[in-house]
Amino acid sequence: MAVLMVIVPVYLLVKYSISDIGSINTGGAAIPLWPENPTLRSYAYLFTDHNFYQVILNSVIVAFSTVLLSMIIGVPAAYFLGRYRIPGRRMVLLGIISVRLFPDIVSVIPITEFFIHTGLHQTFTGVILSHTLLALPYVIFIGIGAFESIPVDLEQQAWVLGASRYQTFLKILMPLAIPGLAAAAIYTFLLSWDEFIFAYYIVFGRQELFTMTLYLNGIKHAAPQNLLAAISVCLSVPVVLFSFLVQRYMIAGISTGSVK
Amino acid sequence: MADLILRSITKKFGNTTVISKLDLSVKSGEFVTLLGPSGCGKTTLLRMIAGLETIEEGELIIGGKKYNNIPSQKRRIAMVFQSYALFPHMSVMQNIIFGLKINKVKAEVIQQKLAWVIPLLRLDGLEKRLPREISGGQRQRVALARALVLDPDVLLLDEPLSNLDTALRETAVEELKRIHRHVGKTIIYVTHNQVEAMTMSERIALINNGHIEQYDKPKVIYDNPKTVFSAEFIGSPPINLVNGEICVQKHYSGVKTEIGFLKLDRERTGKIAEMDGKKVLVGIRPQSIYYIEHLAQRRHTDTHIFLTVELVENLGDRSLVVGRCGDGPIVRFIMTREEDILPERKMTVFVDGRRIHLFDPVTRLNIFRENDTI
Repeated sequence: MAVLMVIVPVYLLVKYSISDIGSINTGGAAIPLWPENPTLRSYAYLFTDHNFYQVILNSVIVAFSTVLLSMIIGVPAAYFLGRYRIPGRRMVLLGIISVRLFPDIVSVIPITEFFIHTGLHQTFTGVILSHTLLALPYVIFIGIGAFESIPVDLEQQAWVLGASRYQTFLKILMPLAIPGLAAAAIYTFLLSWDEFIFAYYIVFGRQELFTMTLYLNGIKHAAPQNLLAAISVCLSVPVVLFSFLVQRYMIAGISTGSVK
Repeated sequence: MADLILRSITKKFGNTTVISKLDLSVKSGEFVTLLGPSGCGKTTLLRMIAGLETIEEGELIIGGKKYNNIPSQKRRIAMVFQSYALFPHMSVMQNIIFGLKINKVKAEVIQQKLAWVIPLLRLDGLEKRLPREISGGQRQRVALARALVLDPDVLLLDEPLSNLDTALRETAVEELKRIHRHVGKTIIYVTHNQVEAMTMSERIALINNGHIEQYDKPKVIYDNPKTVFSAEFIGSPPINLVNGEICVQKHYSGVKTEIGFLKLDRERTGKIAEMDGKKVLVGIRPQSIYYIEHLAQRRHTDTHIFLTVELVENLGDRSLVVGRCGDGPIVRFIMTREEDILPERKMTVFVDGRRIHLFDPVTRLNIFRENDTI
């Protein structure tokens, strides 16, 4: 049953994306289980459309920038929160996780408001910042787990051997934390890739900034179903691909993060 | 090469004082062991020398220079951790040269050092392996090699043999002694294992509860324990301790104890001349009690005591006999295995009057030792 629940929508999506319009609008007759004339025309159409390339590029830019920014902020934060018993540590952790305690639709409004006043509304920077905000709790929590699993002995041994704290971080801690951090990075990428609400409010109709999800939303009433399905497939492929590739890292990363 | 001096060193964790006003001096090139039960502060002391723990009071002086506030990185010290702390993502060779690379040592010097240390620690052929691909003994030697190539003034070893099995440990002890002879470094070695300490060190600092009970050559600690703790901690099987009272009479002086009246040799008798009636704790090593067939073989300073055998433990070439003296305390002693001893047997054994230790029950100090300071 569970397998069916997963398989059926995927099947429908793929089926629609390769259907000719005649197999969708059957005028009341039953829709066939497999299109009568399977065709890649929808895909061909998408990839001749320059707008669509722009949309993919936008999504990639936003997602990669979000990953970069979340890592730059999140990894050192995770290191310090994981290694040092600084005063107020619990409060900081609580503050970080509280970002995700509110429904997105609730937090998006004050953030959009803030961006309007600071000139970040309708900019990539705004979208990237908001996605970073969403991703940081995950990066930090997975990162804390990754750093906590590295024995303190290794770090202190490096110091005694003459390595500065910075060298120790770069040469000992980072290489050992990579599997956990990679999981966090990929999670962040996916989060940004299929995020809709924040992108929708912040881009607010500025078409040249549309990401995949916004593009799909924008044409949902105008385009035929097979084209929409093809876009959806393009949107899902990286998600599915990454999830399969890194599921072991993800589980490792998330579970080490959740222990303490 | 430099002498290391700890002067009135104090360590506190919050409000708890772990080490208070501890003094210790180690000569250049000496092999000193910090020996004590777990939780006595020996590892903390080592970590203070390494710069991994702060020093609340007192001075750490190496080669005449105060080191208290110099960070680990700048101390000419190498340390081998109990866990070996090999970097799991680096090969054996990368591990060994890590410190050299960090200190920007020239490539040809690094090559020379490798050519010296790899045969010394018998690591030939393992250079490309990762730590998880080599055995425990090899890991321990890699950790040692990584410390030695830095040519430190002081080498700190934190229970480096505790993760090895017994057979490996024996060879590792010999190995360490050989290396110490070869490189002549000052070594401070932490262990809770008295056999390692006795066999390897030139001097042992016996630590209990954050202070030094005794700091002496292994033989001196064994023959002449300064305190009850020293007597109990060093020596295997453990020393017999019974209550007694000094008894000075015109013709024979000695101690009245729960196991009978014990004579002492002339030197000891002389020292207790003024102590008639003093309560003492009497310490007799199992090795100082012996069994002989004929009374005539005894020395005139030895006293016989009567025992009922309760238990016999086989130690290989010898047996440990546990006997009870009447209804009194248990007495352990060592016998060669020339005849079978069975439980319930009544026997007469002799206590060597030259090797009886008397301790003050209040100060816990050996009353035969002069009041020397460390």
